[in-house]
Amino acid sequence: MDLIIGGYAQGKLNYVLGKYHLEQSAVWDKTIPKEELRDGTRVVVNRFHEWIKERMQNGGVLEEELSGFLDRCPDCIIISDEVGNGIVPLEAFDREYRERLGKILIMLAGRAKEVERVVCGIGQKIK
Amino acid sequence: MMTVIIGGSGSGKSAYAEEYTITHSEGKKMYYLATMQVYDEEGQRKVERHRELRKGKGFFTVEQPRSLCEAAELFGAEEKTVLLECMSNLVANEMFFTEPPKPAYEAAETVVKEVELLKEAVSHLVVVTNNVFEDGIPYDETTTAYMWALGSVNEKLAAAAEEVIEVVVGIPVFLKKGE
Repeated sequence: MDLIIGGYAQGKLNYVLGKYHLEQSAVWDKTIPKEELRDGTRVVVNRFHEWIKERMQNGGVLEEELSGFLDRCPDCIIISDEVGNGIVPLEAFDREYRERLGKILIMLAGRAKEVERVVCGIGQKIK
Repeated sequence: MMTVIIGGSGSGKSAYAEEYTITHSEGKKMYYLATMQVYDEEGQRKVERHRELRKGKGFFTVEQPRSLCEAAELFGAEEKTVLLECMSNLVANEMFFTEPPKPAYEAAETVVKEVELLKEAVSHLVVVTNNVFEDGIPYDETTTAYMWALGSVNEKLAAAAEEVIEVVVGIPVFLKKGE
């Protein structure tokens, strides 16, 4: 698994499609594949942070769902916004979301083969 | 020597800063200088979570939400490494201690001066600070002034530091590297 992070609108998806020579059809937007994919194509999960938020709002068993997905798609590419670089939000849910996403990204970064941060479309390899 | 470690919320900066401090302490006594003022249950939980993380790692905790120089008096005479966490709290405490709040430049100046004095009093000072600057949301005048103060403190401390490290998803990215 490779992890791609960066701020909003930094060209992360374009960067990934170009780097890995993938088509839009490989992209899962704000969601993850629920079952095993048989065609062997590489899976790109775009806006991973939105999936995390949605699962938190709907009482998902996040870590479990995530680890099942990583077992099914060990060579996937996960793209996520970084959301922690701001003023502490007023709403408790927003604070919890930032912390939870941060922890999950740290865990993913630990497991990832490569981690890149994208700034204005340029990838900076940090692992 | 001074090291500045910066990261956003949930970036893993605290865990990294502890690990860094332990690795660089060279067996010297380690102090953890906690600046967080506890106002509510969530704050209390945060303090407890951090305390749990530090448990058994050999840190002596000193709580000092303002006036860092007073903390220096509590230290022993031995050589020491100090982990100061976190600048975002210290600047907020300095600014909002009085009503009306202190002007941003005044709060920033006081904090920078105190950190410089503290730096002189210890062998190695590791400062943890927060990146609160990139959410693109326009805030009210007071919050904006606070952001300016913290940004200005970060800039001055980074200039005076031998090493500056940004923590991104738990990974250290070196912005300024000491010899």
